[in-house]
Parts: sequence; structure tokens; C-alpha cells
Amino acid sequence: MLTPIEKILFILLALVSAGFTFHGFKTIIDTVRKGRPAPELKNIPASLLKAGVTVLFQRTIFKARKALSAVHLGLFFGLITYAFVNLFDVLEGLIPNFDLTYSGKHLAPPAWTIPLINIYSLVSDVMSMFLLIAITIFLVRRFIVKDKALTYRENVLLNPKVKAGGQAKDSLIVGVFVIMHVTAHVLSQAYRLTEGADPFMPFASFLNSIFGASETGMHVAWWVSIGWVMFIIPYLSRSKHTHFFMAPINLGLAKQNPRGQLDPAIPLKVIDGRKYDPGAKVITDLAWKRILDAYACVQCNRCQDVCPANFYQRPLSPSALEVNKRYLLKEATFGSHPDLLLAPLTETVISPEAVWSCTTCYACVRVCPVGNEPMADIVDIRRRMLIDGFEIDSGVQTALQSLATNGNWMGKGKRLRGRWAKELEFPVKNATEEPVEVLWFVGDTASFDERVIPNTKMVARIFHQAGLDFGILYQNESNAGNDVRRVGEEGLFEQLVEQNMAAFGKAQFQRIVTTDPHSFNTLKNEYPQFGGKFEVKHYTVTLLKLFEEGKLTVKNKLSHYKVTFHDPCYLGRYNGGFTAPRKLLELLGVEFHEMPRNCENSFCCGAGGGQIWMGKVAPGERPAENRIKEALSTFEKHPSDKKQLFIVTCPKDMVMYSDAVKTTGNEGKIEVRDIIQLVAEAVGVEEVSPIVG
Amino acid sequence: MNIVVAIKHIPSIADDVPVKGNNVDFDSVDFVLNEWDEHSIEQAVLIKEAVGGTVTVIGVDLIGELDNALHLALAKGADKVVKITADDPAADSHMQAKWLSEAIKGMGANMVFAGVQASNDLDGQIGPMIAAYLDMPYIGGVSSVEANSDSATVNKEFAGGAGAKYSVSMPFVAGVQAAPKPPRYAPVSKVRQMAQSATVEKVAPSGDASSGLTFKKMAPPVVTGHAEMIEGSSKEVAAKIVELLKSKGLA
Ligand code: SF4
Ligand code: SF4
Repeated sequence: MLTPIEKILFILLALVSAGFTFHGFKTIIDTVRKGRPAPELKNIPASLLKAGVTVLFQRTIFKARKALSAVHLGLFFGLITYAFVNLFDVLEGLIPNFDLTYSGKHLAPPAWTIPLINIYSLVSDVMSMFLLIAITIFLVRRFIVKDKALTYRENVLLNPKVKAGGQAKDSLIVGVFVIMHVTAHVLSQAYRLTEGADPFMPFASFLNSIFGASETGMHVAWWVSIGWVMFIIPYLSRSKHTHFFMAPINLGLAKQNPRGQLDPAIPLKVIDGRKYDPGAKVITDLAWKRILDAYACVQCNRCQDVCPANFYQRPLSPSALEVNKRYLLKEATFGSHPDLLLAPLTETVISPEAVWSCTTCYACVRVCPVGNEPMADIVDIRRRMLIDGFEIDSGVQTALQSLATNGNWMGKGKRLRGRWAKELEFPVKNATEEPVEVLWFVGDTASFDERVIPNTKMVARIFHQAGLDFGILYQNESNAGNDVRRVGEEGLFEQLVEQNMAAFGKAQFQRIVTTDPHSFNTLKNEYPQFGGKFEVKHYTVTLLKLFEEGKLTVKNKLSHYKVTFHDPCYLGRYNGGFTAPRKLLELLGVEFHEMPRNCENSFCCGAGGGQIWMGKVAPGERPAENRIKEALSTFEKHPSDKKQLFIVTCPKDMVMYSDAVKTTGNEGKIEVRDIIQLVAEAVGVEEVSPIVG
Repeated sequence: MNIVVAIKHIPSIADDVPVKGNNVDFDSVDFVLNEWDEHSIEQAVLIKEAVGGTVTVIGVDLIGELDNALHLALAKGADKVVKITADDPAADSHMQAKWLSEAIKGMGANMVFAGVQASNDLDGQIGPMIAAYLDMPYIGGVSSVEANSDSATVNKEFAGGAGAKYSVSMPFVAGVQAAPKPPRYAPVSKVRQMAQSATVEKVAPSGDASSGLTFKKMAPPVVTGHAEMIEGSSKEVAAKIVELLKSKGLA
């Protein structure tokens, strides 16, 4: 179809475009390689393949925003189709007589290909129409409806270019490209239809009925369509839409170790004898995977939607973090600011206040469709801030100092840890002195907080009644270090691990049971890296087993309660402990209602990652308060006179939510209870007044 | 600028403090750095950061565990640490002040800081006594120190929130009430690094002094009664309070 001069022009253009594209992607790869080593990935080809399948069905984006995700799925298939469309358009241009209209009759193809040609014609024609509609929806959403989900809070640190609407410009360019490109392609087909309508090309035939066939029109439309492609491919490597290429790769290289295992502060693998300080100050201090995250980010803000800190009007947005990284990298590599690679992250991508607002709830990582881990960056930044002597919140500092000297964050002496057990009406074994079957790792809140100790005693009584052979470590137990590590105090975390490992070494036990999901998480997922290989269970699992084995029996069914259940982040989202608490509630015979945000989607209480230690309380509705309201509105859908309970399985939750019930003025309407209180009522264990006291 | 910080290791009150005979049962308590000393270390390091110099931290090692506190001081920015090996947990502040001043004498200090008091005896004597032994002026209740070439501008706090600014010529001893900034956090990895690499200079205690006081009797506080928590809604609580007041003949 093309004239010889046009062909030469096309080849020149294609070479220039390929050159720019190559340069674009090479720059990205070189930049990603500037990052630190990341934990080894196993079986990369298989996980890339799996990621490919995931992307093909766009599985991960459906975790949130179902309707829009469906449109995106269509868009995605449209673009895949268009990869073929462009290929055939180029062939049409270069090979004389290559023409697929009218079942390819000008080409005189072998008979078996005719149905394929028809399918291709129909699919590409229909897809073209669909693409125009879908892109219009997305553009309308961004520019006319101005969907709030695509904006950031005023107090969030933003790259100046983002603030000036850089993302919108990107979207507009790509949106306009798709519209022009698709329209031009369909027109080029319409101008081709010299013999009237082609039944397999309804859309092109319709345009043909208006504009007729035209040789010149065909050339012009072809050049517009393909010319755009030659421009847009190198442009993509420099725009937000790099995610077309980087998202599947990133997904294929996503975290393989357990969710509850943080990457180390200093890479385990050292390349070229490079020396590393713990954590991250500048962008190249991050692992290469975290740099790749920025290129893979589709800037959809799904992570921001689920972030409890963002909800609490803190200046934290996990998506802004990724977007800022992306713009910083762009200016440093494609722009004229290479020095930005050495700019402190706390000045360019996330404010210090935002860094310290994260509850490490993992919601952002869980929801991200492309496998990004904004939370990992935040922990790494905290790690370096601590080493560099950045002034930290006074409450956090007091907690850390107490942890370093006393092994707990509550400023209590080590010897006081087991005091609650001395107040029971039966002795609790010291696991460092005699062998036990179950080593109960109690945790700080359950050991020291007067508000929680009655529940701790209740757990002991139930274990005792069920004949469980259990013991505790008394003063040999130290805080497990889960939140210490997430606050960024890696050295203190290691110290606590050593202390606990020494205590475990002195004890004889078959398995560990914890009442605290935070301790559970680190004991289960992180202690193995320090040689601590043991079976760890949450007490909900242990209780369920005791019922199943008949060691506990329900004497009183609790049908007079209407309850809902809060999944603690470190039990649920991190470790998949969704079923045991629900099964327990079912056994106890309560009327159970699920809150809208449950299981994987559970909403953090706001205490994790060291937030519970913070001296300052920010104004605004706290996540825990919002959660209590969510529970109440769930109950409203099932009105009755039954007593309404908010069930928790984490000592910190007991504290957080009891407060939230008070501060929202809902005392009397809803009561917070640990699941152990229900178990005690059902099996008939009464609270006994302390013997000593 | 040559700054010496005299610190004190004291029994921790995070635990119950058990009594044995006429004194604390030193075998069953942990020892920690006096809280006010954390402020004098911070003040010293802040001056060093502002005008340069060296910070030496010195303390009496009562139970052989002072190293932890000294490593912490190094991690916070001290340059040199010294311990006076006494091994006598009952050494009182008069005794300690004597030993400290003997050791500080030859150090050529421009400024000596001590916490204004310590929470074990609350007598605030160490600073003034060091000043007396070293024949230097003493200023207590200090909330900030700025070093000039041979004098310092010192802010001192008085009861009721009043403050005064002094110009004190060097050398002098200051009893630090609070540093201008909260004492910094020393990450454990740094403290551990110091524990591995730093040397703690050892000095034998020299001299003798006594407060002239002896313990007659020491006893844990006697619990006389518990507060009663009144449970219930605000109305119920109010009703119970009225009832209680009535029963005591107060309403
Ligand atoms: S881990 Fe939770 S709090 Fe932290 S950024 Fe992600 S969603 Fe927000
Ligand atoms: S990090 Fe993930 S969830 Fe967040 S904006 Fe980027 S792609 Fe979306």
C-alpha cells in the first residue's frame, strides 16, 4: 500500500522510535539496578508465568473497585488486540496486496485462514468501538467527575510536578493517543472498503457509509495511526504508563517470603563488597525491587483508599510515596537532576510525620494490583532515621528505652511480668524450670496492663480447666519485638530476639501459644531466621482444638449475644487466621454478623507499628472509632434487644476499642470483649476474685 | 571545650524495691542511669556539637555494671568514658562526690556537669560537693548552657517557672535540671558497637568522705488502704457518691 518513499520514511521513523524506546528501557533497568540487593527469589520463570496469567485475567485489580476494574479489563484486552492490529497495519503498509478486508480476498489466502481473518476483523472492529467508550469513561472520571479517589490530601508531601497535575497530563496524552490512534485505524479500514460494507467490520462499514472509500484518506489515516504508535512507545517508557510493561514483571518478582517477614535492614547478600548502612536515606538505599515498584505503580490510589493513617487525616499516602518516587526517578534520569538520586527521601517522597504515621497494617501491600510494597519503604526509612539520630516521638522513645532496659515497653521491672500468675488460685508452671507441653508467650499488654490482666487470667483458667499442660517464662520473657522491628529499631529487635531465644533455650516445650497476634507474627515468621524453629499457634486455634477434642464443652449457649468480630491485622491479613475465631463464635452459639470490612479487608485499629506508643494524639476520627461505628451500623441492619458485643482476639485491641467506645459515646450500646470472656461464660468458668491482692 | 559529666548509677524503681536490713536489698534490684544525668549528657553533647571539644563521662561503678550506662553515653556522642571501680553499692553521695572529684581533678575540665539530683536519695549533693572539692563555682537548677570562649551563658530555673540568665566564668560545676532538648535516643546497634570497640578507662577510688549519717531503719511503704473504684453509668456513680458522703456524715 505504501509508496517506496513512504516505506523509507516509515523505516527511518521506526528506527528512531526503536532507538528512543531502547534508551528509555535501558535507563529504567540501569536505575533499578542501582538499588540494593533484595532477598533471593526462587523459581522466577514460574512466578513470571503465574504473573502473566494473573495479568491476563487482571485478577489482582478486582480486590477493590469492581466496576471500574471491569472496564479496565476490557481496556486491557483492547490494548492486547491492538498489538495485533498494529502488526497487521504495518504489514498492510509494507506488503503489497496485504489487505484483510472482505475476508482477505485481495490477498487470496489459504481457505483455512479465512475464518481466522473474519474473527480478527470482527474482534478488532468491535474492540475499537469498545476502546473509544472505555477511554472516554476513564477520561470523564479523571477530568469531568474528578473522582476523589485520584486526589491526595492537602497535607501529603507531593512532588511539585505531581502537584501541578503531571499525572493528569500523562493520562490526557495517553487518552488522546488512544482515541486518535483507534479512530485513525478504523478510518483507514473504512477508506479501504471500496466495495461497500464488510459484514465483519460493522463499525468501519458504518464510517465507510459516511466518508466513502479513498486512497488518500487511507494513507493519511494509516500514517496518523502508525505515526502515533511510533511516538507513543518511547513516550510510554517515560510516563506513568510504563506500568503496561513493568507491572507484570513486578508482579512476577513480588514478595515470596511470608507477609509477616520484613526484609533485613542490611541486605544479606553483598555485591562488590559494598558497605551498607541500615535502612534507607536516599532512593538508591532501597532494594532494587522497591525502585521497580515505582515504575510498576499504576497510580490507582487503591492503597491510599485502604490506608488507616490516611483515613485518620495523617499526611501519609502510600500511593503518593510511589508516585513521588517515580517522578523523582524521572527527573533524575530522563530530566536534568541526577543529584536527586542523592536527595533524602524524607524531603522528596514522604514527610517525616507521614513516615511515623504508618501502622504497618499491610493493607496497602495486600490491595496493590501490581505487587508493590510501600510499607517496606516506610520501615526502611524509619530504620535510617533512628540510626541518624532523627528526633523521634517522645512516647516511642520512652517505650524503646524501657524495652532496652526492662524488656517491655511499659516501664515495668522484669520481675513483675509474671505477677498476675501468682494471683491465680492454682500455680502456673515456670517453663524454664520444668518441662511443659505448651509454652504460653504472654506478651507485654496481657502481662502488665491492668485492663487486660483479667482476660489473661481467664485464659489461664480455661487452659487449666481443659487440663492443658502449659507454662510461662515469667521474668525470662521479653517483648517479642514485632513492633520494635516495625518502628525501625533493628538493633533492639535483635537484642530482644537473643533474650527470648536464650529463654526458649532454657525451656522444654512442644509448641508455643500466644495471646498477642503481634508476638505471634514475629515468632512464627521472623524468629526462624534467627534459629527459632518452633510451632507457634494463636490462642484461638488452641481453644478451638480444645473444644474439638472435647476438653472444653459449651455448657451455656450464648444466643443472647449479637456479636461482630474484628480481624487483627497480624492474625488475619498477615497470617490468614480467619477461621478459628469464627468457628469458635459459631460453637458458642452467638448471633454473628460480619462487618463489611472483614478478613483480608479488615480495617486496622490504628495501634500497630508503634502507633500505640505515640505520645501525641492527632485530632480527627481515629481508625478505631470508625470501626466501632462500622460495627454499630452492621448491628442496625439486624435490630433486636440482644446485647451487642465487639469481639477481639488481641490484647491491644481490647485497649484500643474500649477507648473508642468511650470516645464515640457509645457506652451501653456496644461492649468490647475478648473472645476468652465468651468462652469462659460458655464453659462456665467464673471470674474468681484474686487470692493475693 | 573540655566537658566532664559526672553520672550516678542508681537502683531502678521499675521493680518493687526490696529492703534488707537497714538498706535496699542491692542484690535484687537492677541499676539504671539516673534520669537527670541523661539530661547532663545531652547538654554536654549539644555544646560539643555547637562549639567542638570533648565530652568525658565518669561514674562510680557500684556493682560492676556501669559499663552499660557508659556505652550508652558513647553512643550518644561522648568521647571518653571512665569508671571508678568501687564495688560498693551502698556508697553514698558524699563518698561518690569525693571519689569523682579526685578523678576529675587532673582532667583540665572547663565545665563539669552533674544531674541536679538523683531519684534514689534526692539530696542533690554530688554537684555542690564536687564544686567544693575542686574549688570551682557551682550553679544548680540549670536548664541550658551555652559556651563562649572562657565563660558560659547559663539559664537557671526557679520555683514557679521564673528563670534567670547568668554569665559564669570557667571552670565551673553545673547541676543540670534539664537539657534544652529531650535526651536523644541511642539506637541499640550503636550501643552494641560501642560495647565491642570502645575502651572504658578504670580508676581506683581514692580518698574518703562520709556524710556522717547512718541508716537507723529502712522499710517499704505501708499500704494503708485501696482506692475504691465505683462502677456503673454516670448516674449510678453519682448516686453512690452521694450515698457515701451521706454515710460519712458529710452531706
Ligand atoms: S501499612 Fe497500613 S498504615 Fe502503613 S502505609 Fe500501608 S496501609 Fe497505610
Ligand atoms: S502502589 Fe499499588 S495500589 Fe498504590 S497506587 Fe500504586 S499500583 Fe495502586
